[in-house]
This record gives sequence, structure tokens and C-alpha cells, in this order.
Amino acid sequence: MTASLTRRRIRIINQICWTLALCIVAIPFVFPFLWMVSSGFKSAAEIFGSPSLVPREWQWQNFIDVFKHQPFARQYLNSLYIAVTVTALTLLVSSLAGYALARMRFAGAALVALFLVSALMVPEEVTIIPNFFMMRWAGLVDTHWPLILLPTFGPQGIMATFLMRQYFLALPKELEDAGKMDGLSRLGVWWSIALPMSRPALAAVAIITFLNSWNLFLEPLIFVSSLDKFTLPLALSNFTDPYGMPLWHLQLAATSLAVIPILVVYIIAQRQIIESFALSGVKG
Amino acid sequence: MTSLSLNNVKKHFGRTEVIRGVDLSVDDGEFVVFVGPSGCGKSTLLRMISGLEDISSGVLKIGNRVVNETPPARRGVAMVFQSYALYPHLNVRDNMGFGLKVRKVPIDERARRVMEAARTLKLEPLLDRFPRELSGGQRQRVAIGRAIVGDPEVFLFDEPLSNLDAELRVHMRSEIASLHKRLGSTMIYVTHDQIEAMTLADKIVVLRDGLVEQVGTPRELYERPGNLFVAQFIGSPKMNILPVGSVAKALPVRPDSAAHVGMRPEDLKLTDPGSGLVSGKVLLSEYTGASSLLHVELPDGEIFLVAYDGPTIDADTTLGLTIAPDRLHFFDSAGQRAS
Ligand SMILES: Nc1ncnc2c1ncn2[C@@H]1O[C@H](COP(=O)(O)OP(=O)(O)OP(=O)(O)O)[C@@H](O)[C@H]1O
Ligand SMILES: [Mg+2]
Repeated sequence: MTASLTRRRIRIINQICWTLALCIVAIPFVFPFLWMVSSGFKSAAEIFGSPSLVPREWQWQNFIDVFKHQPFARQYLNSLYIAVTVTALTLLVSSLAGYALARMRFAGAALVALFLVSALMVPEEVTIIPNFFMMRWAGLVDTHWPLILLPTFGPQGIMATFLMRQYFLALPKELEDAGKMDGLSRLGVWWSIALPMSRPALAAVAIITFLNSWNLFLEPLIFVSSLDKFTLPLALSNFTDPYGMPLWHLQLAATSLAVIPILVVYIIAQRQIIESFALSGVKG
Repeated sequence: MTSLSLNNVKKHFGRTEVIRGVDLSVDDGEFVVFVGPSGCGKSTLLRMISGLEDISSGVLKIGNRVVNETPPARRGVAMVFQSYALYPHLNVRDNMGFGLKVRKVPIDERARRVMEAARTLKLEPLLDRFPRELSGGQRQRVAIGRAIVGDPEVFLFDEPLSNLDAELRVHMRSEIASLHKRLGSTMIYVTHDQIEAMTLADKIVVLRDGLVEQVGTPRELYERPGNLFVAQFIGSPKMNILPVGSVAKALPVRPDSAAHVGMRPEDLKLTDPGSGLVSGKVLLSEYTGASSLLHVELPDGEIFLVAYDGPTIDADTTLGLTIAPDRLHFFDSAGQRAS
């Protein structure tokens, strides 16, 4: 009786200690975020004037000025639809290509894999120039196409393909055989069996791809020049006064807004990952 | 009508030939069991019949159709896998109905057939569960249910019971036997388990290295094994084999070509030392409850296995062994049965 009581007390104390420790470790990660959000509510003068995390005077006006300074809503929407498109396309392409690499024996499969890997070895800064010429030749400069095509079929897409391939390789083959016995075509096995069982991998690819597209800076900088075609990273660096000095309060308010989709995607994808782990939980 | 025949069927993976020309015919409603040592090609042969593995050469007929090029789902066969291969993201009902759904069977017809199969296998209370929520035996039954639902003409089983514990295995064995009786379908069954093979089979096919060694009823294989390999493979414990020369004096009549003589452990009787066919010293006596298994060392160092039912015999006892003449098996120098 008393033994179990003290054991429970020990467990509670243990838990408190861990929670405290984790909170302390989390401070360096969380603080900049909090600082950003709170600064978004401050006036330009207060940001550097007062170290308090709570604004002296809540400047709601910042969030209105953000949209007046440049076509921020348009730019936000640009980023959003581009990231969603890239994510959807990458999921489709990488899971199809990854499945082919994992399960199909076709002539030149090894060569294809080698070719893909070699494409990973060249840094983006090198390929951006030929890519630019290619896009200009195709008449796609100052459109959103490069921002969709390059991440989907470039190194990011290849990484996603290998990730999916690795995951497919680990799926039990007999399940796919069962699907074939049930009358599924190869594409049917991919869609009805391989994909539903690969939800953790798909979620991981979705997070990585969405984040990457959302944060893409170099490509928009090079391919897009019209203000209303800007994506968020470009737009954020564009909150400046006529002399080119950053307007910190607007920039931080805008950045706070820019973080929201990331949080949403993360929460959705995380639930997918946890659920599918519970689902596929293999038991002898 | 759903007989099945293989005609000089071969399979190679790259350069290695795994099935090296198999001829076999299976009658309608027959229960055929494939046995053979690990790696001899049992699964490969079964998968070739199912259509999961293509046939390198030869002819496979199901019914009167040549189905070499027919996709799995159109062959009228269903397969039960060793790992059960239940779809983890679907519940029992959807697992069983999946094939019908793919074949676009109307939804109420599908529900009816799933219910019917569930009733047959006593799966009704489990229909809404997911595979991870089932025990091994229940999963096995769902896997069989999934096969039944499609109303196939031929059932293929690849070691379906090997993941179950001993007691459940015996139980499921009898369920499969009664299922076969009820459905009357043709069944082909791969197993490592001698008892499963002997009890279930109308016909056993012994495979070795991609070739058929012998085909016959369990009784034929046990009582008249066609060659040394089958003689030693069928029956547990293994048949004892001696060169004819070493016991020639004591042997009664024997065929002229006989080079080896085989004696099943359960056919041997104990006698006084020196009076039987052979004599030897007991090395080890393994008590199994129903009987004991004696390991007897012959003078030339051979170990003889003897199934023995009686009072305990200590190690180092010397004894003689005898056998009824009609229980002797003779093989020629090529290992073929000599009679
Ligand atoms: N996809 C494959 N590629 C190459 N060789 C294969 C392939 N599948 C099977 N084999 C080979 O074919 C032979 C027969 O394999 P199979 O699985 O049919 O044996 P088995 O009789 O079922 O054995 P077990 O009793 O262990 O299940 C083995 O030597 C195996 O290595
Ligand atoms: Mg096998």
C-alpha cells in the first residue's frame, strides 16, 4: 500500500522533472518564434526599444498595413497554391516512380537509379543557370511554372522518390500478390494496397515538400519579377521603406502570418503518421 | 470439370532452373499436397499455377483451358498465403469482399457472399474488426474466407498453418478437411508437415530439386515408396537404409537387383542379440509418451532408429532386431524400388 503510494509519488516527481527539463531545452527554439509574433504587434520604435515579450500597445494596424504595402494577399495565395500543387504533384510522381523502382524489373532500371542519384550531386546553384535558359526558351520566365516544375522533378522530387522506394521495398510482397489474386492491375496494386500502407512515408514526403516549396527563395528570385507574382519569401524581404531599409514591424507581422499554413500542414501530417503507425502495427 | 494438368512445366529465374519439367494431373475435387525439402520449388510451382509467377515453358491447363498467359484473377483460383496477407487497412468484411469489389460485383451480392462465407467459417462476430485485432487462428480463417468468397474452382494453399501453434494447427487441419468435403473444390496444398500431408491428401506429390519424385496416395507412398528419396522423406522417424550386402545372410528372398534394403522404425521388433536380422547396442532411448525411439548402433557404426513400445531399455543394452519379410523395402543401385 505505502510502497505503491511512494512509487506513484516518485513517478509524478519524475514526470515533473522531465517536463521542466524539456521546457528549458525548448526555450532557444521557442523564444525567437514568440519574439517574432510579439514584435509583429509592436510599433517599429518599440521593437528595439523594449525587450518585453508583451507589446506595450497592441498594434493591430500592422496586420492591415501589411496588405496595403504590397499585394500581400495575392502573394500569399500564390505561395499557397504553388506549395499545394507541388506537394500533390510530388506525392504522385514520387510514389509512382518509387514504386516502379522498388517493384518492377525493367531494362535499365539500375541505370535510371544511377541517373537520378547523379542529379542529386550537382548543387542547385549550378543547375539554376541552365534551368533558367531552359525556362526562358520555353517562355516560362515570370510565371509560376518554374516554381512548380523544378522542385517536383528536381532534387527534391528525386529525394522523395528514393524515400518512397525504400518504403515500398519494405512492404510485404505477399500482400501485393494477394491484390493481384483479387484481380488488381499493377496500377491497382499501387493505388489500393501500396499507397494506403505507405501513409507515414507519404506524410513525411508531404511535409518536406510543402516546407521546401513554402520557403523556396532562390528560384522565385530568379524566375519571377512581377510584384503580384511574388511568393511569400520574396514578399517578406520586400517590406522596406523607400531607402531599402527593412520595415521590421511589417516584416515580422507578415512572417507571423506566413507561419500559419506550416503549422496546419504539420498538425495534419503528424496525425497521419501516428494513425498509420497504429494501423500498420505488425503483430506476430 | 475443374481438373488441372501440368505438362513438362519449367521455370527458370535468370539462369537457374528451379522447376525442371513437371508433369502432373489433378482430378476434379482432388486434394493434392506438395511436399519436399526446403527450396525444392513447392512454392514456385504453386505460384505458377496461381499466375503470380509466369511459366517459362510447358503447358498449364485448368479445366480444359490453357491458362499459361491468363492473369491470376481470371484463372478461377484462389490462394491462401502463409503470412495470411490480409490487407491491414481494411476490416474483415472489406478484406473478404475486396476481390468481388475489384471484379465489380454489385454491392448487395457482395454483402450476401461475404455473409455466407463468414457463416461457414464462424467469422460473423469479427466482420468489423481489423486484422491487427485478430488472433493468428482468426486471421487464418479470414484468409480462407477471402478465398472462399470468390467461389474459385481451385484453392491453393502455401503452408497455411505453419504460423499457428500445435493445437490450433490440428484444429484448423480438420477444418480445412471438412471445408474440402463441403465445397468439393480442387485443392492444392503445400506443407512441411508430414501429418498434414498424410491426413489431408488424396494424392501426395513429392518434389525434389524441381522434379517430381513420386505421386501417389499417402498409403502408396508410405507402403511402396518408389525410390530411396521418397522412402526416407515420407514417414517419421525416417526409414532405416542398409546396403543389402551387410545383411545378406539373414535376409529371406530378395529381388536380384536389390542393392539397398529399407526398414521403417515402426516395423522393427526387438529380439535376443544375434538372433534377428541385425544386432546392435542402444545408444539412446527417447521416451515420447506413446512409445520410445531407440537409437541403436550397429557393429559397423550405422545408427538404426527403432520405435519401441514397452518397458524402459537402458543405454548400452545389446539387442537384436527383426522384421516381417513383407515389411522390407528393396531398392536397386540407382535408388529405384526393386520388386
Ligand atoms: N524470385 C526468385 N528469384 C530467384 N530465385 C528464386 C526466386 N524465388 C525462388 N527462387 C529459388 O527457387 C528455389 C525454389 O524456391 P521455392 O520458394 O519454390 O522453394 P520451396 O520448396 O517453397 O521452399 P520452402 O519449403 O523453404 O518454402 C529456391 O532455390 C529459391 O532460391
Ligand atoms: Mg515455400
